[in-house]
Amino acid sequence: MHFDPVANMQLLISGLAVGSIYALVALGFVLIYNAVGVVNFAQGEFVMLPSYVAVTFMLPAVAVFGTIVHWQVPVVGVYVLVLLFMVAFALVFNRIAYHPLRDRGWMPVVISTIGVSIFLRNAVQQVWGSQPIVMPSLFSVDTIFLGPLRIRPQDLLILGVTAVLIAFQFYLFERTTLGKQMRATAQDRATARLIGIRVGRIVAITFVYSAVLGAVSGLLVAPLFTVTKEMGALIALKAFAASIVGGFGSIPGAIIGGLTIGVIETFGGFYVSSAYVDAIAFIILISVLLVRPQGLFGERVAEKA
Amino acid sequence: MNSSVTLSLSKGAPLAALIVVLALIPAFVRSDYLLTLLDTAGIYAIVVMGLGILLGFAGQLSLAQAAFLGIGAYTSGFLTVNLGWPVWPAMGAAMAVSALVGLIVGYPCLRLSGHYLALATIGFGIITQLVLINWKPVTNGSDGMTGIPPPQIGSFVFDTYGRYYYIVLVAVLVCAYVAWRIKTTRVGRALEAIRENEIAARATGIDATRYKIIAFVLAGTYAGLAGSLLAHMTKFISPDSYSFDQSVVFLVMLIVGGSASITGAILGAVLLWFLPEVLRPLKTSYIMVYGAAVIAMIVFMPRGLIGLLETLRARTVRRPPETA
Repeated sequence: MHFDPVANMQLLISGLAVGSIYALVALGFVLIYNAVGVVNFAQGEFVMLPSYVAVTFMLPAVAVFGTIVHWQVPVVGVYVLVLLFMVAFALVFNRIAYHPLRDRGWMPVVISTIGVSIFLRNAVQQVWGSQPIVMPSLFSVDTIFLGPLRIRPQDLLILGVTAVLIAFQFYLFERTTLGKQMRATAQDRATARLIGIRVGRIVAITFVYSAVLGAVSGLLVAPLFTVTKEMGALIALKAFAASIVGGFGSIPGAIIGGLTIGVIETFGGFYVSSAYVDAIAFIILISVLLVRPQGLFGERVAEKA
Repeated sequence: MNSSVTLSLSKGAPLAALIVVLALIPAFVRSDYLLTLLDTAGIYAIVVMGLGILLGFAGQLSLAQAAFLGIGAYTSGFLTVNLGWPVWPAMGAAMAVSALVGLIVGYPCLRLSGHYLALATIGFGIITQLVLINWKPVTNGSDGMTGIPPPQIGSFVFDTYGRYYYIVLVAVLVCAYVAWRIKTTRVGRALEAIRENEIAARATGIDATRYKIIAFVLAGTYAGLAGSLLAHMTKFISPDSYSFDQSVVFLVMLIVGGSASITGAILGAVLLWFLPEVLRPLKTSYIMVYGAAVIAMIVFMPRGLIGLLETLRARTVRRPPETA
């Protein structure tokens, strides 16, 4: 196996693209964790569900409950519909799976989000069937040439959108009142409430924002794979691993952890073993936990007492 | 809950009667299908009791029970089919290997708790399943392993589901007894202290990490035994039975039954194992009902079926409900 700079550059770009997806989903985890102190084990379904909704409106023919529908909404309309759907979904999710359990510690919430995950994965199977659905790409070609590099335009789109979202998030949290309220709620809920922040509403908004991040990740990643009920599960687990590698609770940590895992996984899958590619994220995770339990950027990894 | 170490007569008599009734079941149940279900229910009860020690007693969430089930099954399968070991030592080895893996995995993972532990165990489960699929010389890959022999004593071979039932029954009773001994003695109290408040437990001199590792190893050993029992019953194993989803099912069984109770663990495993049979008219959507049931249970019945039963009993005898 010789060292080929062009091939490595291509691997790096697709690794960063995969890593961007992990980073976006990891951000969704971290935002919810910071706001309510629990990990949402249905985060993968926040990626899978919008993908199903998107293909339903997008494709010329999709079977919904066994009936073929032909909506073929224009792409922009699809995105708007998906976002509206995910906003409504996040509000219901917050009401059913989090709100009734908010004062009972983390474990009941974790279990109820696992319940949501089981429910949704099988609900989509009931609605859309078990066959994978292909989401068409926005681009007419699979790969383009940039100098000597052969690159998927979808990868470039993923990198671009992720960069914009991260910039937006920075703006939201640093410059807007809403963002500051979200940060205050994350830091200390009781004090946030004392100074007049409507914590319940901020928590709901956090769930909505997290679901929107999931929707964007789903729309970005679906054309690369297929839309299946399992599509979100592994992405979410790796994103969770990424957020711990980066240092849990840390937003830059989630982004850098996601990119790191994406790149190492892509190189590892190419040079070491494609059969074990899905294990790489967890091997990195367990190694990091052994050597530096607080993660690359984290202060602490123990649960709040 | 009273933690008297000796069984009082008033408790012992109904228990003995229950065991006799359980032992008589194969004499009346002639359907092989029903007996398979019963055997499997018992085996799953062992897995769920193991998880109960970890989650119910010690408050640590693991989603790797299916992985340990697989490790037990494949250890048994490999030793008997590839190396020609007799079944009983292979079962012992399955438990030993699971315990050892539990120790090796538990050591780094149990420096973590809460979500981190849950995630690390999910990662371990995924790695285990990938190894089972890809380590072909040992596991035969996704084709699985066939021709795993049934156990025998002398010339008596446990080759029917009715006969196998007794092996499962004895295993369940022994596992329940061990779990009960753990719960009512020093280790159990240490685990409970860790569950209620780890920092306070450490302050009173409990080596929390050590006890959490003990609980994790026990959970793994229970699942390893169950995996071995399953392998020698079905005679065929393949990697897809040991998935993350299966670990979730075990978790659900425990939550539905009542996580801190041994009876609850057994009850949850048996009821949820039979639930798909009851829900058969729903066909494939029963898993959806499963998911919804989990949410409903955790919202409305936080202590599971056992909690519900205790509340009802407390009401009928006009006593304030006991605090667990």
